Amino acid sequence: MKCEEYREAIAADPSFDGNAGHLSECAACQAYRTEMLALEQTIGRALRLDVPELEMPELPEIVAEESRESSTSMSDNVVALPNRRRVSPAWFAMAATVVVAALLGIRLLSTGIEYESLADEILAHVDHEPYALRVTDVAVSDERLASVVPANVAKMDHGAGLITYAQSCVINGHEVPHLVIQGERGPVTILLMPHEMILEAQILAGENVNGVILPVGNGSIAIIGESGESLERIQQQVMKSATWST
Amino acid sequence: MQSSKAASLRRQRFDEYVAVYHQDMYRYAAWLSRDRSIAEDVVQEALMRAWKSLDALRDEAAAKQWLLTIVRRENARYFERKRLETVDIDNLTASQAALLAEQPDEELDHMRQAIYELDDDYREPLVLQVLMGYSTNEIAEQMGLKQGAVLTRLHRARAKLKEQMAKP
Repeated sequence: MKCEEYREAIAADPSFDGNAGHLSECAACQAYRTEMLALEQTIGRALRLDVPELEMPELPEIVAEESRESSTSMSDNVVALPNRRRVSPAWFAMAATVVVAALLGIRLLSTGIEYESLADEILAHVDHEPYALRVTDVAVSDERLASVVPANVAKMDHGAGLITYAQSCVINGHEVPHLVIQGERGPVTILLMPHEMILEAQILAGENVNGVILPVGNGSIAIIGESGESLERIQQQVMKSATWST
Repeated sequence: MQSSKAASLRRQRFDEYVAVYHQDMYRYAAWLSRDRSIAEDVVQEALMRAWKSLDALRDEAAAKQWLLTIVRRENARYFERKRLETVDIDNLTASQAALLAEQPDEELDHMRQAIYELDDDYREPLVLQVLMGYSTNEIAEQMGLKQGAVLTRLHRARAKLKEQMAKP
């Protein structure tokens, strides 16, 4: 290892201890390492801000069946999103509320969380599963893909790209395949939603998000990547690779 | 009765996470936003979101990463909602200035100023590595980058800090 390589490595990670041989023979790199370790200590002290006492927000009540106990009893293929609320004796009043909300165009989900649009629900769902957005080159197995994308719902092959995550999730009350493929700038989420008919494509644009919901037959497909991800090619690949069975 | 117990256990689980990771959440939010008030708002929103989606967290070992990811998204949302301008370091609000002027230690103040002035792309991986103890691979996952890109950013971040600290 050359001095330049060693210094780049230690500047990227001061705990780097590779090539001790080089270090023992190079006084200049020893001095550089000592300097970087001192700098690191100062960086650490500077980053450790005083933290104010926590003011816990008022947390909404979550009904019992949304608890972990019930979620762990669900199929491993289904993400434990909150279940539907049970119909209570007060359902008359709630029903009226739902009708009003529907008239206002508000999505009132069974979770009790309000979403103003399909796009909002999709983005919230992506947030719920951050561990899905891993940078990896390990593809899910064909068996896994087949179990998440049942033949009677849709057909999806590996032509869409390297599929590294596959899970059945719930969007607007329907189980839908949630897939992740590796894009150029990072993981890209794909939601196959055969039940969500939309009239025209909806763009999801934000500082950190670049996505689109595409109308496909009687359903739609959401494709969401990091900001700056070029989705055009992925859209074409996904459209070629996915077909509804119904 | 049983549902009450389940709800209680759920709350207990949440409180445990908050107790362990609240400081990390706040510091991460503070360095992302470079503003103490915004950091507090972001943490509040993140806690609310985490509470609602707690059942989606299956791997206990992933709790820290899960919470920090929520903080990251909430911070991005906050800035999108408010359409905030990039922070002008010559014209700081009291809340922004509070991030910098905390210690009587001159070296520390100097370093804090230098970190504050780093581009977001450099500051965030540095915070994740030094403060959160993330490996470069974990940072890559968190930020949706390739590991090589993370190494480059960390190298450049430290080079800039070193350069700044060398200035009088």
